[in-house]
Amino acid sequence: MTGTATSEVISVRNVSKKYKDSLALDSVDLTLEGGKIYGLLGRNGAGKTTLMSVLTAQNFQTSGEVRVFGQRPYENDGVLSRICFIRESQKYPDDFTAAQAFQAASMFFGGWDQPFADRLVEEFQLPAKRRIKKLSRGQLSAVGVIIGLASRAEITFFDEPYLGLDAVARQIFYDRLVQDFTEHPRTIVLSSHLIDEVANLLEHVILIDKGRVLVDEDAESIRGSAVTGVGPAALVDEFTAGRAVLHREAFASLASVTIEARLSEQERAEAGELGLELAPVTLQQLIVRKTMAATGAELAVVERENDPELEATK
Amino acid sequence: MNRVVNVARMQLINKWTYLGIPAIIMASAFLITYAIWAIVPSGGEIIYSGAAQSVMWYFLALGIMSMTLTFPFSQAMSVSRRTFYLGTVGLFAVVALAISVLYYILGLIEKATHGWGLNGQLYALGWLAGEPALVQIYFYFIAMVALFMIGFWFATVYKRWRATGMLVVWIAVAVVLLGLVALTTWQGWWPEVGAWFVAQTPLNVSAWASLFCAVLACGSYLTLRRATP
Repeated sequence: MTGTATSEVISVRNVSKKYKDSLALDSVDLTLEGGKIYGLLGRNGAGKTTLMSVLTAQNFQTSGEVRVFGQRPYENDGVLSRICFIRESQKYPDDFTAAQAFQAASMFFGGWDQPFADRLVEEFQLPAKRRIKKLSRGQLSAVGVIIGLASRAEITFFDEPYLGLDAVARQIFYDRLVQDFTEHPRTIVLSSHLIDEVANLLEHVILIDKGRVLVDEDAESIRGSAVTGVGPAALVDEFTAGRAVLHREAFASLASVTIEARLSEQERAEAGELGLELAPVTLQQLIVRKTMAATGAELAVVERENDPELEATK
Repeated sequence: MNRVVNVARMQLINKWTYLGIPAIIMASAFLITYAIWAIVPSGGEIIYSGAAQSVMWYFLALGIMSMTLTFPFSQAMSVSRRTFYLGTVGLFAVVALAISVLYYILGLIEKATHGWGLNGQLYALGWLAGEPALVQIYFYFIAMVALFMIGFWFATVYKRWRATGMLVVWIAVAVVLLGLVALTTWQGWWPEVGAWFVAQTPLNVSAWASLFCAVLACGSYLTLRRATP
């Protein structure tokens, strides 16, 4: 998918968010260009919702600078009116029906498209006249998804929008998102941990873990940035020696090793001569491996730091 | 400005919350009181009822609800905290003013019909009814605003500091009240305090209440500025 990338719409400089006993965001630096679909990936509690809350001034950073459309979003109606962020755990006024929530959205979002919202209600089979507090989890997610799509805000954040949605509804969401994005280019930030499902939509991937940005790269270039080699263990190890190994799996005398590398034609031929099979790595695998590698590295550091102490106590 | 008005319009989407339920409370409070008066013979004396207050207490709950449920929704609608505050408090002030005028008019009818034909006293309270129209309306208005602001402020404190905030505020309120009572007792000021209360006129009380509302309004706004949905 190719959007027409415009200039920078969001800039995050050295932003940290501290809660009482944890660091939800740790010196985050990001620049988001307009007209793209971004994937904000990471484990539960990685800081995805916190980051989106800070960007939309629903929450506050402890330090650092956030600029949206070149301005601070906090208490800035001019900036806020151009963005839309429905939280995963969004609350609605008591006794509101979905239809009433859409009516409210139509007052605040200049680009609101009511016929589009009506079509989505039908497609998601949402009982729009029922009170929101009586909706199922999936239907509640659908309300947020419809507001996000039909508001056509210049920057739209989707916070785990698929929770409780069945496979059909999720596909409808992905299809409508891509279709509407093509007709009305804007900036979409999609937070998700169902990486495989959204992989094809994303143009740019931001991976955060424990509040830190691990990956901030074009989706295409990420897909080609790693490869898995499968074959006899000794040969695989010979081939991957000296490279950044993301993951290693051994089964009897066979090994499957994922390395972070862009192989040249010559290297591919070399692997072929060794009798190794090269397989592409899916975005999901890569994200999982990278996250685990980051955690592993940290554990190793902790162990090393603890060592002298252990020695001393002996 | 447009967005401030939209915040008010948004809260009127569900007609029940600001219009339907207050109307039902006021109508049923009147009818039930009237029925009681009709059943229990007064023996010619004026019978007073506090039922007219009931709708005011509903506004305390409304203050809490706008903060706990409407505020998070307004954040999703990309409304700044300032805009939400102005729209919500503004809408409430208009509704409170309308009810105050209605109470004044009902008071006039009550007097003209000799207590609805039953010598009852529901709207034209003896202490208040002799005052000029503006003072009566002002009194009702500020009483309702005060209750709304109390609910709104407490809910704002809850939104910002959660259970810890509530605990601290309740303990602080209790300590301050206890301190005032203790001070008055030790200094033997009770007679003066009693005399002061008796000497208050509706206009005086309204003025004090206005001051109280102004403090709560500022406090709510400052607390809201850093509240998260």
